[in-house]
Amino acid sequence: MIRPSRKVVEWALGLLLGAVFIYASVEKIWKPADFARIVYHYQLIGPGREVGPLPANLLAVTLPWIELLVGLLLASGLWRREAAAVAALMLVVFLGAVGSALWRGIDIENCGCFSVSGKGRQAGIQLIAGDLALLGAAVVLARPRARHTIDDTRP
Amino acid sequence: MRFRFAVRVMAIGLAGAALGLAWNAVSGRGFALGANVMIKQGDEVVPVAQARVRIEAGALALDARPVDFYAMQHIPGALSLPEDDFEAAFLRLEKRLRASSDVLVYCAGFGCEASHMVSRKLKERGIPAAILEEGWPAWQDAGYPVKAGSEP
Repeated sequence: MIRPSRKVVEWALGLLLGAVFIYASVEKIWKPADFARIVYHYQLIGPGREVGPLPANLLAVTLPWIELLVGLLLASGLWRREAAAVAALMLVVFLGAVGSALWRGIDIENCGCFSVSGKGRQAGIQLIAGDLALLGAAVVLARPRARHTIDDTRP
Repeated sequence: MRFRFAVRVMAIGLAGAALGLAWNAVSGRGFALGANVMIKQGDEVVPVAQARVRIEAGALALDARPVDFYAMQHIPGALSLPEDDFEAAFLRLEKRLRASSDVLVYCAGFGCEASHMVSRKLKERGIPAAILEEGWPAWQDAGYPVKAGSEP
């Protein structure tokens, strides 16, 4: 049985995390080219000498809509576990991207997290801490709900 | 249950990606997926070998990176015109720039947009300026001469 307190916690976390993802997606959806420019700044998936601009452009065009969808699902509670798993996956990718930029000494003035125009949040330790907190929330929501369902007896 | 979980996770990703592609195609806010968004119509982007020929023939090279990077190393003969200090640097260099018939701007490479921005600002002021493709790393990796210090 699910204790009511856990239900409330899940509902609140879902709403919170969902709101963050929805908010994060809006400006990127409105200004996709500006977001693509920020993806370039990370110098992870091009454009570079070997790779053209296509992979970075595809990421810039699709990622914000996955964020929006995940945010709506999390906030509404529909497919919450699955949406939280996708959110966790995205946050791991964001953490990897920011960490690698810091590691390589690439100065990312605007991380492209929420705002894509002008000066946004700088990619740094604070950002990593914030992402880790969100990741924690996503992992909590992605956990299986009850341990004693019939399916868990499957090999 | 686990299978359904995985299918739903993938469905979310695929649906989001499909929405994104559709939005890019029909919203009018999208862009060409095969093109570099930093390069706008009217930008002249020059490969490094061609840039060297032009510089040796007397083209003026401009370093759009922050001035500290210029001091570390730069293309011999290049002047520092940092994007982050454009107005002041432009006033200092305006005479030289207007006297040059060929101007080439570079910055820190593919992820760097400073050269594009400097080139456009110059164009607004009536000075056409080409952009060195892939900027400083291309020059360095080609083994072309470099110079350290704050003198051109």
